[in-house]
Amino acid sequence: MSNFFYVAPEQLIKDRAEFAQKGIARGRSIVAAIYDVGVVLVAENPSASLYKISEIYDRLAFAGVGRYNEFDRLREAGIRWADGTGYTYSREDVDGRALANYYAQHLGDMFTEGQKPLEVEILVAQLGNQFRPTKLYRIAYEGTISDEEHFAVLGGDAETIKERFATLEVGHLALSQTLKNAVSALAGPDRQIPVSDLEVGVLEDRGDRRTFARLDDDEIGRLLA
Amino acid sequence: MGLPLFDAQSDPGPSFLRYAELAGLTRVPDTTDLSAHATTVVAVRFNDGVVMVGDRQATSYYVANRDVRKIEAADRYTALAISGSAARGLEFIRLAQLSFEHYEKMSDAALSLEGKANYLSPLIQRNNLSSQLVVLPLLAGWDTAHQRGRIFEYDGAGGCYERQDFSVIGSGSPFAESTLRLGFRPDLGRQEALELASLAIYEAADNDPSTGGPDFVRNIYPMMVTLTVEGFRELDQETAKTTFQTINDRRTQSGGVAGGTLR
Repeated sequence: MSNFFYVAPEQLIKDRAEFAQKGIARGRSIVAAIYDVGVVLVAENPSASLYKISEIYDRLAFAGVGRYNEFDRLREAGIRWADGTGYTYSREDVDGRALANYYAQHLGDMFTEGQKPLEVEILVAQLGNQFRPTKLYRIAYEGTISDEEHFAVLGGDAETIKERFATLEVGHLALSQTLKNAVSALAGPDRQIPVSDLEVGVLEDRGDRRTFARLDDDEIGRLLA
Repeated sequence: MGLPLFDAQSDPGPSFLRYAELAGLTRVPDTTDLSAHATTVVAVRFNDGVVMVGDRQATSYYVANRDVRKIEAADRYTALAISGSAARGLEFIRLAQLSFEHYEKMSDAALSLEGKANYLSPLIQRNNLSSQLVVLPLLAGWDTAHQRGRIFEYDGAGGCYERQDFSVIGSGSPFAESTLRLGFRPDLGRQEALELASLAIYEAADNDPSTGGPDFVRNIYPMMVTLTVEGFRELDQETAKTTFQTINDRRTQSGGVAGGTLR
């Protein structure tokens, strides 16, 4: 004889959301911001090899917080999607908004139908050109998607960091100033983040087709000085 | 196309080719039509890298195209040249370029030069054994790990062989090869290597109707590329014009014969 328990849909969604939020809150946060000529992604990441920020395509970058294995699979899927689309059609046809929508659908599906929701929050950054705008697409664990014109914060402590960053970052500044603001917003008033614990990626036009670059400790140190 | 997610067992890893096959992105060639083809491209090692020179003509029954690019940068440090079917060759370059970049993004590390050379073998094998549109590439690059220029050539079944001196592909090969055999020394400088490689293309174009020589009427000259510690560099058409003009002037003065010397 089996017992059936009725669980109200509201309760189910609430439980799942709480579960996902708890997982995401455990990790460190990421700040992504559009500066005067590009996009910078800043993560607090003590690991020098397990990246949270990476290149997706010529003008697209990815950032993820939460469970590493889960967002890394999404990162790989994003690269495959972008390379596959560019191969089938043209490099120009690879669009950040389309990728963000696919991510949102997948996260939404996992939230409602999956064994458990994914404990991740991800971001697709697009460096604009004459055809497309510079945009930050933030996708939450339940599939909510938002496009930001200026900056976005991912992770458990997002609200506090967002407030701190908003007071510092007025308008689109130069890379070094934006990076300083992002690091100080991530750190808060009571502590300093050592350069070796920072992971920084930028999208900027340097005359090459590929615009993503990972900054090493020396470069980060120089920009923060 | 939806998000290409895979479970751990069927995950294609960082290989774009395996992914493309799973996703049905690669097209299987099934035509046996004659299509534009033929080439001569040479690669010559010199003391600081590799030079490559390639003609620009695509030929079917007649000249199909006079300004084809048969040498392309596969990535920052690698050049890929093609001979054989133009259609399959250009597709081959596209797939190779994408594969190297895909690997780099997926695993956050660039493939080694040898890794790139080996990756092409099954691609060539599969193409050439399943289709009459045969492709034979030539890979040359600057090996950043071992700090030297390297050349890899292939046979029709996909066999990959490293060459220490020079390599030639395409229909004008016999003439280009002979020129290189007589002129090659292991201690060539950059300029000498460029001149020798250009002379080899000149000879090939002179004797092989499917290889295009310098076109002084349309201002189209063979492509000249260097691969050094600075990576892939394509020389401008002005430089190519000067180089080929010099050879052409010498040959005009001698009445069309090399006269027993490399000139």
